Amino acid sequence: MSFWQLMLAEVKAILADKAIAVTLFGGVLFYSVLYPLPYLQQVPTEQQVVVVDHDNSSLSRLVTRHADASAKIHILANLASIDEAQAWVNQGKAHGLLVIPANFRRDLLIGKGATLSYGGDASYFLIYSAVAEGLVAAGIDASKHVQLIGLLSRGQNPQLAEQSVNSININANPVFNPSLGYTPYVVPGLFLLILHQTLLIGTGILGAGQWRKKGYWQQVSPGLLVMARLSVFLLMYGVFSGFYLGYCFYWYQVSVLATIIEVALFMLPFLLATGALGILLSCMFKRRDFPTQLYLLMSMPVLFVSGFVWPIALIPEPLVAVSQVIPAVPAIMGMLELNQLGALWSAVQPKWLQLWVLFAVFVCLAIWAVAQKQKQAVGIKSDVLSE
Amino acid sequence: MRQLFKRELNILWHSPWQLALISYIPLIGVLALWWLFSAGLPRQLPVALVDLDNSQISRMLSRQLLANSVIAPQSFANEAQAIEAMRQTQVYAMVVLPYQLKKDLLTGHQPTIDIRYNSQFLLVGKLLSSQLQLSLAEGLSHIGQQRLLLNGANKATVDVSLTPITNQTTALFNRNNNYVGFLVPPILIALWQLLAMLVFVNSLNKELILHQERYYLPHNIGALIATKILLYSPIMLLHSGFILLWLYHYLSLPAAGALIDLVLAQFAMLLALWTLVLVIFMAMRDSARTVSFCTALLAPAFAFMGITFPVNDMPLLAQWWRLVMPSSHYIDSHVSVISYGVDLPYVVAQMGSYWGFLLLVPVIVWLAHKAKQLPRNQLSTTISDQEASQ
Repeated sequence: MSFWQLMLAEVKAILADKAIAVTLFGGVLFYSVLYPLPYLQQVPTEQQVVVVDHDNSSLSRLVTRHADASAKIHILANLASIDEAQAWVNQGKAHGLLVIPANFRRDLLIGKGATLSYGGDASYFLIYSAVAEGLVAAGIDASKHVQLIGLLSRGQNPQLAEQSVNSININANPVFNPSLGYTPYVVPGLFLLILHQTLLIGTGILGAGQWRKKGYWQQVSPGLLVMARLSVFLLMYGVFSGFYLGYCFYWYQVSVLATIIEVALFMLPFLLATGALGILLSCMFKRRDFPTQLYLLMSMPVLFVSGFVWPIALIPEPLVAVSQVIPAVPAIMGMLELNQLGALWSAVQPKWLQLWVLFAVFVCLAIWAVAQKQKQAVGIKSDVLSE
Repeated sequence: MRQLFKRELNILWHSPWQLALISYIPLIGVLALWWLFSAGLPRQLPVALVDLDNSQISRMLSRQLLANSVIAPQSFANEAQAIEAMRQTQVYAMVVLPYQLKKDLLTGHQPTIDIRYNSQFLLVGKLLSSQLQLSLAEGLSHIGQQRLLLNGANKATVDVSLTPITNQTTALFNRNNNYVGFLVPPILIALWQLLAMLVFVNSLNKELILHQERYYLPHNIGALIATKILLYSPIMLLHSGFILLWLYHYLSLPAAGALIDLVLAQFAMLLALWTLVLVIFMAMRDSARTVSFCTALLAPAFAFMGITFPVNDMPLLAQWWRLVMPSSHYIDSHVSVISYGVDLPYVVAQMGSYWGFLLLVPVIVWLAHKAKQLPRNQLSTTISDQEASQ
């Protein structure tokens, strides 16, 4: 059997197996739509907030209007007491409250100062931060308004007054994900993980299905079989990667900074190492429904240990050290640095080399494991024949 | 019934993977995921500090940043190096104190302090942005105070005229913004849901009867399913109970309501999950495909719970899809009980949201009826074959 015939046989085996075809083609397509679906609106807006206005003055109404004007906040109602506001929050009707104290305007006019209290439901951090940011901005705005009026009434020149209210500009800007959107945050890491998991499942089911039966896989040397299988999966995942890292990143507005050659160069050892790991682990599976189960349970820990959701510096070091043998972990971080943060190639080279080392180790082990399977299969074959 | 239980336990005993799924895998998974997030509060995040002024004021601002527990400032000589460090995720944000900051302040110009934070890591970026601004604002208010005092303002009125309105922000239900209390419960529930699904699917797959390349179900499948539900529900509830005890007793995360109400809600969630799995199982009747399909359906459960990203801001399609997953129904009760401290009647009322799953029951019965119709004449031989092979 020549290498090309072997590759053809592999392609046929993959396409003939419904479970693999569904996981690879269906899964990759389905997840590219389903996972980002909840996040399509990118930023939480118009969170529901109730106001408890004990003052009922022109200024307190101004603060309320300014808060409502913020894109992050929608003022739902004006309630009589904090207890009532608490009840609204508990029933999930509102996620935040703004309390304006009695004599708010009077205290400010006579120069006593006043305190605005905000509360946000911190069971949901994104809601809480939206509520807090919106209300604090409205509060600071009102504060500056009062300051300015005070200064002007004391006879300050308007330009000077403006300056002493803002003596320093703080120019804080987000970079790499300028819209603070949720899909550009989640998609790059998650999509690499989906490629990683489906590739492992695909090779796993293919192996687990084949080792029990006679077939072309016994007639070739283990090295050739592993190489052919890797080549076939590499070709398929080249196309999937093109779809994910190309079209999907564009569609979900992920910022992309690396050149296509750099991305391809980085994906190569990632896909090879993952494929080799998949073939190696497939030799340990006896049932075809097993790989999906194992990799499913692994996917959440791998996602969180890769360090783009929760900073790596805060993850316990033993976990980080152990996770380095999973190809997705260096690949997700390296790819983020290269493609989303625009790091130079030299900066991600250690991770790239790590992936090559992983590939080298896994491919040797995979060839050895397949050879073992072929030896065992000789015994099985005679059993099958005797039946 | 007792016979069926014995048979079920026997099958369970002889399946190492199934035993693992109900014993040590949940424990390892729960503890590992908790350990990952166990830091709880983000602290000492590296920030590049480029001080181009090197004046008394700029050093005061640096000390102010150093005093914040979230920020770990690292000095860089110029912006180019800081940018490079930021691209390599060595630092998550950078602060540039401009040249002649002090002079501009003293001569009444308006200097600009630049902050850039890495929003690709949204969680860290947003936190650092607010903390950096807070620390700098605190430092700058010292300067403002001095200036007002120099202008002859009364000491008592200085604070008020600097910030006439003070802000008091309270994070309700999770006072110190602890990530363990926020993120870990929904993650563990998502994991638990996957485990429960796998346990049930594996046990159902054992009942398939192969006959002429097609799978059929035994005639007493109803009783078998009832046995499985009676056996596996308490086992899985034991694990979810462990999660609750671990988080809210051992780690003493704040919980306003009674945990026992949550166990009831978890039981309802399990029943909904079993129904969902049964529909898929009856419709597919192929072990690998049932597993794949259930996996595809439930793997993104965490994203759809609406804890990290609010439900109201999801597109309508996502809000509907969310209702297919039992975990999304449960997590609402979880938050109500843990945060708002609602009582039992409210939790029971919330379970009404599962009504859609009841519609699946007739579908299951119909599918099961169809699946039992093995070609009559071969029925006895196939079953005896099955028994012989076992």
